[in-house]
Amino acid sequence: MAIAGLIVTLLGFLISVFSVSVSSSTSGRLIIVLIGLAVSLGGIIGLLNPAYMKNANWRK
Amino acid sequence: MKTTRLLLILILCLAPLGLAQTPAAPAAAAPPAAASAALTDQDLKGLSGPDAKARANGDPDGSLTGTTNDITIADPVTDKNPKAKGLTIGDLANQIGQNKIAINFTWTLVCGFLVMFMQAGFAVVETGLCRVKNANHTMMMNFMVYGVGMLAYWLIGFAIQEGGVGAVANLGASPVLSHEYVVTIFGKPWGLWGQGGYFLTHAGSYDVFAMVLFLFQMVFMDTALTIVTGTVAERWKYAAFVVSSFVMGAFIYPLFANWAWGGGWLATLGSSYGLGHGYADFAGSGVVHSVGGITALAMGILIGPRLGKFTRDGKPLAMPGHDLLIVLTGCFILAFGWFGFNPGSTLGASGNGSLRIGSIAVNTMLAGMAGSFGALLYMWLRYGKPDASMTGNGLLAGLVAITAPSGFVNPVCSVIIGLIGGVLVCLSVEFVEKVMRVDDPVGAISVHGANGLWGVISVGLFADGKSNYGGSWNGVDGSVKGLFYGDPGQLVAQLIGCATLIGFVFTFGFVVNWVIDAFMGQRVSAATELAGLDMPEMGALCYPEFEVKTQSVGA
Repeated sequence: MAIAGLIVTLLGFLISVFSVSVSSSTSGRLIIVLIGLAVSLGGIIGLLNPAYMKNANWRK
Repeated sequence: MKTTRLLLILILCLAPLGLAQTPAAPAAAAPPAAASAALTDQDLKGLSGPDAKARANGDPDGSLTGTTNDITIADPVTDKNPKAKGLTIGDLANQIGQNKIAINFTWTLVCGFLVMFMQAGFAVVETGLCRVKNANHTMMMNFMVYGVGMLAYWLIGFAIQEGGVGAVANLGASPVLSHEYVVTIFGKPWGLWGQGGYFLTHAGSYDVFAMVLFLFQMVFMDTALTIVTGTVAERWKYAAFVVSSFVMGAFIYPLFANWAWGGGWLATLGSSYGLGHGYADFAGSGVVHSVGGITALAMGILIGPRLGKFTRDGKPLAMPGHDLLIVLTGCFILAFGWFGFNPGSTLGASGNGSLRIGSIAVNTMLAGMAGSFGALLYMWLRYGKPDASMTGNGLLAGLVAITAPSGFVNPVCSVIIGLIGGVLVCLSVEFVEKVMRVDDPVGAISVHGANGLWGVISVGLFADGKSNYGGSWNGVDGSVKGLFYGDPGQLVAQLIGCATLIGFVFTFGFVVNWVIDAFMGQRVSAATELAGLDMPEMGALCYPEFEVKTQSVGA
């Protein structure tokens, strides 16, 4: 789960970077970059952090 | 006649500066050029400064100091060489060039000294927000992050960041740092890292320009490193802190800084892909503060919260710091140092639009003020009291947010950016603590991470196109303009920078620290944490005459 979170976080970065070659229009690039940002944030907040919270010291 | 000659010399002196500041308007320089044609070396022959007798009586009003006598002459007339050329126009021109670079060197160095002093501000803010039993440990992290980071940066980091920056006009346009590793992707050049300047001797980097640049960039790097120590304070093993900070100073920070400031691919998004002026981050909301804040987030998740921070059902408990007095004093120290951080990022006070330093300084102070107001009002309205530590964090949030746009926006936008920053830091602290349940004793993730990103985005919104740093930015002609001033491409470039910070820097920082954790462990034992880190980790209490009450957990 934690590794999946890291992979998704990195994937979001790659999506954003590839926006410059996937689209030539500014609005197209903007949408792709925002998708990339959402994916990265999802990787951190939705996957990686919950994976670490499962074993957090306050749960024990 | 002598007065006329002096006037002609004055015009000749000012002409190159005028040309440097307005390269797009050659017509403005035409009259001095015509005047300079009338001036010859012969006109300078009769010039002389005050004689030795006059100087021997002292110079209380300063009128005898700084005259023709102080101009360096390449071929001076002496008793042994009476036929020498003496003072020439060439000597004057050299002196003008030397003076311009001297002004810029002095400006950059003094601003660097101010930024260095910010380490003291960070140290007392973080220590004041921690408990007494961890004060020595927290202070020692902030103290040694300066040395550890500097060592890493001198050995490796500076070369990665600035090894391919190329000529910096304000600092003498030396070509010694022109070794960028570039690959071709999608048919365009992508600068990945610098390769010159290791140990400040490699590839000709034993150079006056490189020394000034190193000092200024080093203190910026150290700022990023010290941000992390705040988030993982009160539970970070000191040995792991040393290793982690070294790696961050050598690789994590310099890599992103190269992409943004060292001629890397983020800076060239404008020239390569038509995205505004490429990623524009004037003084480092993203490069310095977000890199620090996002690495701090990675560390906060990896290390976990302090014992007793959350109840068994995940509700956060307040763990107040021990000294609000030094917290707010530290905030003032940081606000003072920020006058080096932002205006100093012009790397000069003479030429190439550097006179904008006044505007940058004013933007900085306005945004800080607005940030403190934003946090004060938010906390007062929401919780009924003006919270002191959050007001301090609001000041810092406003300063962090204005760091990237300070060179590109007007005062009204600075206030808007700072005000939003002040509210954002409060919302972010609540989100990090209550939703993510990441323990951040000093609020570094919110102050530097969240507001750093906001600062980067605000360039893409509010840059007004009125700045002119030598006629171009990141190799693209004209001034940086944001979405509200007609360039949506700039916003896209800024968002790609944010995606790089969140997607790449976070992952890189997390993996590096995960490896360190696997090899040596990042977190102290529960017994050490409960006792306080001062004795077990450092061998001495910060306040040995205080009675320290320790906390029990799980009761």
